[in-house]
Amino acid sequence: MRFLDWRDWLRTLGRLWRSSLQLRTVAITVILSSLTVGIIGGYMSYSVGSNLFESRRQSVLDSSSRATLAAQGRFDAVEDSNAVDLDSIMALALAAANQAASTPATIAILRTPGQGGPNTPVDRTSGAFADRVSPQLRAQVASATERRSYSQSVSFTKEDGTVVPGLVVGSQLTVPGQVQYELYLVYDLSDTESNLAFIQQTLLLGGLALVVLIGAVTFIVVRLVVGPVRMAAETSERLAAGELEVRIPEKGEDVIATLARSFNGMAASLQQQITRLAALSQVQQRFVSDVSHELRTPLTTIRLAGDVLYDQRKTFPPATERTAELLHTQVERFEILLADLLEMSRYDAGAVEMEVEPTSIVRLVEDAIDAMTTLSESKGSELRLVAPGGYFEAELDSRRIRRILQNLLGNAIDHGEGKPIIVYVDSDSDAVAIAVRDYGVGMTPASVERVFDRFWRADPSRQRVTGGTGLGLAISLEDAVLHGGWLEVWSSPGEGSCFRLTLPRRRGETLASSPLELPPDDEPGQS
Amino acid sequence: MNAKVLVVDDDTALAEMIGIVLRSEGFEPSFCADGSGAVAAFHNARPDLVLLDLMLPGMDGIEVCSRIREESGIPIIMLTAKSDTTDVVKGLESGADDYIVKPFNPKELVARIRTRLRPVSTEGAGVLAIGDLTLDVAGHEVRRGSELINLTPLEFELLLALALKPAQVFTREMLLEQVWGYHYKADTRLVNVHVQRLRAKVENDPDNPRIVMTVRGVGYRAGSAS
Repeated sequence: MRFLDWRDWLRTLGRLWRSSLQLRTVAITVILSSLTVGIIGGYMSYSVGSNLFESRRQSVLDSSSRATLAAQGRFDAVEDSNAVDLDSIMALALAAANQAASTPATIAILRTPGQGGPNTPVDRTSGAFADRVSPQLRAQVASATERRSYSQSVSFTKEDGTVVPGLVVGSQLTVPGQVQYELYLVYDLSDTESNLAFIQQTLLLGGLALVVLIGAVTFIVVRLVVGPVRMAAETSERLAAGELEVRIPEKGEDVIATLARSFNGMAASLQQQITRLAALSQVQQRFVSDVSHELRTPLTTIRLAGDVLYDQRKTFPPATERTAELLHTQVERFEILLADLLEMSRYDAGAVEMEVEPTSIVRLVEDAIDAMTTLSESKGSELRLVAPGGYFEAELDSRRIRRILQNLLGNAIDHGEGKPIIVYVDSDSDAVAIAVRDYGVGMTPASVERVFDRFWRADPSRQRVTGGTGLGLAISLEDAVLHGGWLEVWSSPGEGSCFRLTLPRRRGETLASSPLELPPDDEPGQS
Repeated sequence: MNAKVLVVDDDTALAEMIGIVLRSEGFEPSFCADGSGAVAAFHNARPDLVLLDLMLPGMDGIEVCSRIREESGIPIIMLTAKSDTTDVVKGLESGADDYIVKPFNPKELVARIRTRLRPVSTEGAGVLAIGDLTLDVAGHEVRRGSELINLTPLEFELLLALALKPAQVFTREMLLEQVWGYHYKADTRLVNVHVQRLRAKVENDPDNPRIVMTVRGVGYRAGSAS
């Protein structure tokens, strides 16, 4: 569970990282600047530290030489080494050294080991000298040939128990009688260290403050830049959604203002274009609609005249009689074409209203089949209905669905070559489907591509009985789309065609799949 | 006597052609080519039925329709090129009984005219009750108490159809067949609009009908006699 939480958290962070430019920029800036500040701070702290130490060492060495000189001076003042109390001289030398050296923590004068003669004067130390001087340093000092001081960094424990850094400086002393002694001064460097610590702390705090400042500045700058960009993105989304009049506020003269201006310019020109095109298309649609309507009045006259002539055709000579018949049928065809054209123009204008009611799809199909039976029998095709039971009520505009069925059946009869035509009906909880399958000539893939195009015909030389206008399938497709449904086709030359209509059972729902295969699994009675 | 039909249409060729068809069917047509003269022509010709184009110069067909309706209940059939627009509903609301969409054929036109001119069958009961109304079938009169309610022949026929079978619920399709003479699926807006008009005349409170009752999802039935 904890593991999952962690994973979730990581995923959320990743998403945030990908989605927020602001977060990304601020994070990268903070990381890079802390790296830089870290390197600079580290270097500064190191160089300040070594500098401090070096200067302290130098001053320690100076005071050590002074102390050595002072102590040596005491010893040099003795003329007869046997006559004086070397121990008291030693004490004087120690005091002199102590005075000359500026406040060393500990001072010691030790006899260099490995020399003959009497062990006088005895070693003198002040404070807790203990073993603060390492054997290496002692060896170094003892074997020195020139008069100078040697230093070594040590750390020692003070009386109060704290461990502090220190510096031990050693030098040679020559005591009367040519005995070699060593003077050691131990300095406490804790004040230097605390100085360094203070400087480092200041550096760290300064660095942190700098990083935070840089982060904040980046945040504000990115905000300044990202804000307008985000606004531009939101505005263009709204534009895309159809709110053509939205604009970005233009402020100032900077590059953001230029972006806003050019964006607004683009939006304005888009709006103009769209409005112009919309107006143009509206004019065109109106034109088609008006033409169709205007044609109706003269067509009515022609229709009436043609019908009057047609009713009296028996009284005419044969040629005139045939003329009257041709006039009659062609006027009828013209009328159907005009009606289809008008229907199409309604779709193009988006001025289509649906009358939706719960309808039994099987009943609808049965009605459509009944209406087409005479026609199919004249062509020798048998119409069969295959409808396994199920949920057959659907919310649809029965007039439009009837029109689609009429069209599909008409096409199937026209191209069915007298073979049986099977109508499949099935449904599931979300959709109803009707498939019209014929076993006629079929279509090539190229034809299948174009079958829903307006005024397209599979085979122009083919004789039609249903007198199609070439708009039938285009209208059917529009009707199906209006229902939120699909109208699809499968066809293979020589094997026939199958048109499948799938409709959502409830208005406004989106189809996911069809209850029927395309083409449906064969085929009771065929084969 | 032949029935007189007034044809109001600005397209003279169509008017003449309609005239030829009507004459051959035994009607007596008269013509008017613009809207502003239509009411005067109606007064002069005293027709039994008016064929009215909706798009007319001068005064539009809807206006003409309501002017004629103000003074007479004679059948009016609209001729329209636009079946899908609100024009049809407006025409029906202004009092037209029926409409024909151009282009139409002669048989359709004549059938529509004959349906509107056929006498209402007066067989059966002489006086019927529906809600608090009484229908005098032979006299074509509807009364609430002693008050006479003026109905057009179509409205009377609609009310009579409901009153004759008070137990029956009529679907819109049944009424279309019985009252308008349509034997195929026609425009149910005809029924809806005329029920509204009828209710406006006969109901005490048209928003809360007691005489022409709506049966939700089915159609209409007569209110029970009080």
